Amino acid sequence: MDEHRSGPVVWCAIIGATCLLLVLMERMLWLAIPFVEGIVLYYVLLPPTQRLLRMGLRKNAAVPIVYAGATLILLLVVLATASWASAPSANGQEVVARYVTGGLSFLSRSLQALEREFRLLRQIHLSETVNSGFAAWTDDFLKHRLAGVLVAAAGWIPSLLLAPFLTFFFLRDGRRFKRFLVRAVPNAFFERTLFLLHEVDQTARRYFVGMMKLTVIDTAALALGLWAIGLHSPLVLGFIAALLAWVPYVGSIAGCVMVVMVASTDAPDNALIAYSAIGVFIAVRLLDDFVFMPMTIGRSLHIHPLIAVLMIFIGGSVAGVAGLAMVLPLLGIVTVVGQTLGQLVTNSRLRARHRYTRALRMKQASADL
Amino acid sequence: MELLPKGVAVIFGFLKSNDLSPLEKQLHRSPLFASLTPRELKTVYGLVHERRYLADEIVFDEGEEGQALYLVLAGRVRINKARENGYEPVAELEPGAYFGDMALLDNTPRSAQARAIGDCELAVFFRADFIALMETDAVVGYKIALALARHLGRRLRNFMGDRPQIELM
Repeated sequence: MDEHRSGPVVWCAIIGATCLLLVLMERMLWLAIPFVEGIVLYYVLLPPTQRLLRMGLRKNAAVPIVYAGATLILLLVVLATASWASAPSANGQEVVARYVTGGLSFLSRSLQALEREFRLLRQIHLSETVNSGFAAWTDDFLKHRLAGVLVAAAGWIPSLLLAPFLTFFFLRDGRRFKRFLVRAVPNAFFERTLFLLHEVDQTARRYFVGMMKLTVIDTAALALGLWAIGLHSPLVLGFIAALLAWVPYVGSIAGCVMVVMVASTDAPDNALIAYSAIGVFIAVRLLDDFVFMPMTIGRSLHIHPLIAVLMIFIGGSVAGVAGLAMVLPLLGIVTVVGQTLGQLVTNSRLRARHRYTRALRMKQASADL
Repeated sequence: MELLPKGVAVIFGFLKSNDLSPLEKQLHRSPLFASLTPRELKTVYGLVHERRYLADEIVFDEGEEGQALYLVLAGRVRINKARENGYEPVAELEPGAYFGDMALLDNTPRSAQARAIGDCELAVFFRADFIALMETDAVVGYKIALALARHLGRRLRNFMGDRPQIELM
């Protein structure tokens, strides 16, 4: 299909359309995030559903059975994690406050150590400045912003419940919807449209399935590293950090900060553990870039690395964290659609065939007039 | 591979019925899908697209990249080969026949043009769906591939003695 390479006009249109979609996505985040979660869940549940269908079950039976199985597994995992990981006496708020305090005191101790080594830092009172800045920000956050953040988070709950609902209908009616969509396409463009829909599906599948595999590998690698340096709950920490890594750059840093906070709180007198946690993160990051990513996602999106990096910056500036996370799959899909539409628009034979069919239809409709 | 006793599953409507719809029966009559069981046929039916073409409408052009196999459900289709002085008809296909089958195997350009003689209905089987079927349901894929191989072998034998048949490929 790529016998004709797309020109600069098509590429400008692709980048422009991606930016426009990012802006729209940011405005409709309440729908975009459950939609993406629904797609990820769809790719997870599709193989067992197809297996049941091939065994002769009706779709209306296969999809609920797969749903029931997935819910049961999720409940078992949650129960196992809850009974194994957390201390029953501490509530969530206390745990977060303890780890934030632990992280801040680690930062303070590190800055003081730097001040002892470098006279310039001592002269500018680095530790004092950073501590007072953090204190002011924390105070402002607790007094003015926390309530808003909690209300906004609560407002997300109904929206997130939309994801399994969407997945159910993707699984049950996805193929029917595709056939319905294709039926509306004129005969002249039919094969190309089938190819386009297939490529869009493949691009999304390659990216999201690749990301899921990457999450599993990252979790295992981080858990191994964190277990080796003696942190408790390495698997849970590794999993949360691997999930955060779905957001390029920012997510990895957030994951690293979280683990350092846990390390410095659990072992306040042993700074080596916190520094080792940073080392584990850097090592896994390097493995990610040079080994794991080529193994899982690879060049699944067929985007030039320079364009990918530029688009990550544009995505971040246009749509914030959601833009950072979504810009690459969105660009991959828009690229496929843009290149195919570019080929259709520039294919004069297909357009002539379509015009001829319309003329035939008109002639047939007016034959007895 | 039964999840429940068959009687129980049928009573509660879990299993697909073995009754074939008119279109499924038409697919079953084609040599390509003749060896499939009713359940396997329903799997294939889920992947097939139905298209209607007007008399004289082009289905695909010679030289165009092929993405799908076409099965004639109703009406007739003519296969034309481009010559120096225009198109020369090389075959006319009746209901049950299929064409464009090489597209199921690779993405080489179409070797001839296909054009509807009268108003006709075609079932379209997309290559990517066939490849996916081979990976997920090897038995169905094997049966279709075997029918396809037999068909190509027959055509090759005919070609050795009757050259124009190659244009159908």
